[in-house]
Amino acid sequence: MEVFVTFLLNLIYISATLALIALGLAMVFGLLGVMNMAHGEFVMLGAYSVYVVQLAGQHFLWAIPVAIVICVMVGWLMEWLVVRHLYSRPFDTLLATWGVAILIRKGVEVIFTRDYKSVNQVMPGTIDLLGVSYPAYRLLLVALIIVLFVALFTWYQKSKAGLKIRAMVQGPELAAAVGIDTARLSRLTFIIGVSTAGLAGVLLAPLVRVEPYIGLDYLMSSFFILIVGGLGTLEGLLIGSTVIGGTDAIVSTVFDKTAGYMSVLLISILFLWLRPDGIFYRR
Amino acid sequence: MDRTILEVQNLSGGYGDLIIVRNISLSVYNGNTVSITGRNGVGKTTLMRLISGSLPLTSGKVNFLGNSIAEVPEHKRFNLGMSYAPQERIVFDNLSVKDNLTLHYLETDLDRYSNLFENFPRLRERLGQRAGTLSGGEKKLLSFTRAIAEPSNLVLLDEPTEGVQSDNIELMAQVICSQKSQGRGFLVVDQNLTFLESITDTIHLLDHGEQVYKTDNKRFRGEIETRISI
Amino acid sequence: MKRRDFIKTSMAAAAFTAASQGNIFSAMAAPKLKVGVMIPLSGPAALFGPSTKNVAQMAAEKINSGGGILGRKIEILFGDAGLPPAEAAQTALRMWRGQGCEAFVGMHNSAVRGAYNNVFKGQVPYVYTPNYEGGECANGVYYVGETPAQSVVPTMKWLAGEKKLKKFYLIGNDYNWPRDTNVIAKKTISELGGKVVGEEYMPFTVDNFDSSLAKIKETGADMVLITLVGGASVTFNRAFASFGLSDKVIRLGTLIDENTLLGIGAENSKNIYSAASYFANVQTNEAKAFAKEYAKKFGSKAPVLNALSGSAYDGLIALDTIAERAGSLSTKKMDSVAEGSEWDSPRGRAKMSNRHLTLDIYLATAIGTNFKIVKTFSRQDPGNFCKA
Repeated sequence: MEVFVTFLLNLIYISATLALIALGLAMVFGLLGVMNMAHGEFVMLGAYSVYVVQLAGQHFLWAIPVAIVICVMVGWLMEWLVVRHLYSRPFDTLLATWGVAILIRKGVEVIFTRDYKSVNQVMPGTIDLLGVSYPAYRLLLVALIIVLFVALFTWYQKSKAGLKIRAMVQGPELAAAVGIDTARLSRLTFIIGVSTAGLAGVLLAPLVRVEPYIGLDYLMSSFFILIVGGLGTLEGLLIGSTVIGGTDAIVSTVFDKTAGYMSVLLISILFLWLRPDGIFYRR
Repeated sequence: MDRTILEVQNLSGGYGDLIIVRNISLSVYNGNTVSITGRNGVGKTTLMRLISGSLPLTSGKVNFLGNSIAEVPEHKRFNLGMSYAPQERIVFDNLSVKDNLTLHYLETDLDRYSNLFENFPRLRERLGQRAGTLSGGEKKLLSFTRAIAEPSNLVLLDEPTEGVQSDNIELMAQVICSQKSQGRGFLVVDQNLTFLESITDTIHLLDHGEQVYKTDNKRFRGEIETRISI
Repeated sequence: MKRRDFIKTSMAAAAFTAASQGNIFSAMAAPKLKVGVMIPLSGPAALFGPSTKNVAQMAAEKINSGGGILGRKIEILFGDAGLPPAEAAQTALRMWRGQGCEAFVGMHNSAVRGAYNNVFKGQVPYVYTPNYEGGECANGVYYVGETPAQSVVPTMKWLAGEKKLKKFYLIGNDYNWPRDTNVIAKKTISELGGKVVGEEYMPFTVDNFDSSLAKIKETGADMVLITLVGGASVTFNRAFASFGLSDKVIRLGTLIDENTLLGIGAENSKNIYSAASYFANVQTNEAKAFAKEYAKKFGSKAPVLNALSGSAYDGLIALDTIAERAGSLSTKKMDSVAEGSEWDSPRGRAKMSNRHLTLDIYLATAIGTNFKIVKTFSRQDPGNFCKA
């Protein structure tokens, strides 16, 4: 029983964090068609925000506005200098954003060196839940992710800006014809996308290693999820995270971690082969 | 008093290096409808997209209310008072009919549409439905309604009657004529000559991207039909 | 910038870089002895590069102030060993045949060592410095890192006795160093009468250890032997503590260095033990002097000293000592006199035995993000791999 509950909590935790990690990439790719290879670097910037805030002796929560300010600035610059010239040129964007990724990584390396940075735990200790002691912060994190997704989903479905983004994604020309500034709206979407990546970095920082190269791992995980879940829908993102996280958790528990990782690769390959558009596809 | 709303001089353009329309000149005055007709593929839609700002000009001038708008991006032309109902991808399929009608306004009420709904009650019945579920003709009506209700000086309509039932086409013509009497200008691309005869003040015939015939005569049907069938 | 300007600028930059590396100017000076120091400058292990680079320069200065090797001042050329083995081998070949390096010192993984062995084929002296799985005795190669026989066996035995440990869980990354280390660990565990309750090897890409942690908890292991590397070790240890396991379960690693411990963080480091022949705060006179000089030279914010940089320093000293003893850089002569070479270094007294070093091994425990040495195992034998 105890083993099963732990397993279940691990499954929920991994699916939720994977969805959080992939959210920004899913937004930017699904809505703008931009494969942002620097996605992971924004996660990394978020994690370093926590380090800097704690270094300054401030509370962990300050990292959220700090990370958002940094991601908005970097994202704005990146969109303005690079990405906006390359919309609807997917391969060029891929190369250009990869260049930006290297730049951000090296920049952080120059400022902070390659050393691991330790971020203090937030809410250390465990909570007893259904007879299992589980890390308190993980439970908080899962709750926060659910709140974030509900808020984002509501905003996208109900707000005027969400409506305009949906309109722009569907018909950019018609959107411009009814007075929507698609260039500005694309920039806004891009900035929101990379800011959620930064937020993911803040929330994950107390749990993971922090060094300039962590972005690559997050980019990889996000790829797997988007391959399975398809692009452009929130449902797809959630299903992709659950399929990837669940497969890994189940196979790793029954066999070992190598088998778990292999099964994730296998599923991704099968999806690329048999359902290249993912489970959910609507565009 | 005839005020010039739109003045197009020697306009040429197309897609990148590929020039589709050449050396077009026309003017739309307030209270007037200028129509453009011609066979499929002669550049009518390209011309509309050049005027609306969807495509950049290669050469020529486009003046709107006395100012050049060649460099003005498409979304700003909306604010200047230019409405555009394109030929294809005319509605946002994923959005509801209501969202299609309100997304570009701050208020979400439908007051501005009450008169138009009298003419086209089907739209009111389908407000909550996704626009993608409408028939082709209903989409055209939705697009027409959306453009007409905008507070603009000039309305660009590209093939507004395509797929629309004939009684609704008559209603569209009535709406256009009553709007004209209030001083609005229209630039309409269509192939339905009956519809065009009921609304047009000046008609241009396009072939291979060039103006081949123009008349202010309101009874142009016979002449145009002979020229098209050659 | 125009394309032509770009090409011009990059050519100028390339020429300048080449010049500043000494190819042009040094030709006019006395013939220096070029030593290739191969360290990861890129890739995941590049984290360990900076402090090693610094100590290599310190060692070179020390050697040069004592007259150099065989009367020739040495000059260090750094090569990237963080590349895939085939590319790293190409770099080494270029440095040897092209730039004229006459000896090599390397701090990198075993796969790259294998590739270098194929290039050098015993024709140029090569000192391999990090701790490794043991088992090799190639011509012209001198191994100054710790072997599992030195680092794992005595420390595990001592900890098992002190803490009454019975159930052991082995976790590492999936390559030969963790696997070979664990072969020796398992032998030790059975000698102790303990039980191996789990053995797992992780692909390098894995960053979630939940299923392993659940197994560690379920099996009731009272010691985990960690042979995870770098980032994997950091993530594993952080999650380990967050599940509340750090209060009950002892963790022992032979590659948990000062850097990794910084990443793990003070709150997660309880009951972590690390075994190595050098720690930044070893309290011998030589080690203290070494750390002081390092801080003076590179500042207090310099990359931290650790076992890897400690043994890399020793690598250059080893090269100097053996070459002087042989009176030559010929590998045949060096091989014949290597046995019994002895010197003092920040790690203590080192003595070459079967091309490896007899060394003092320290067992340290983590106090916050610092190590405190709790036990010294003196004169540990590396094992003999040269019999066959």
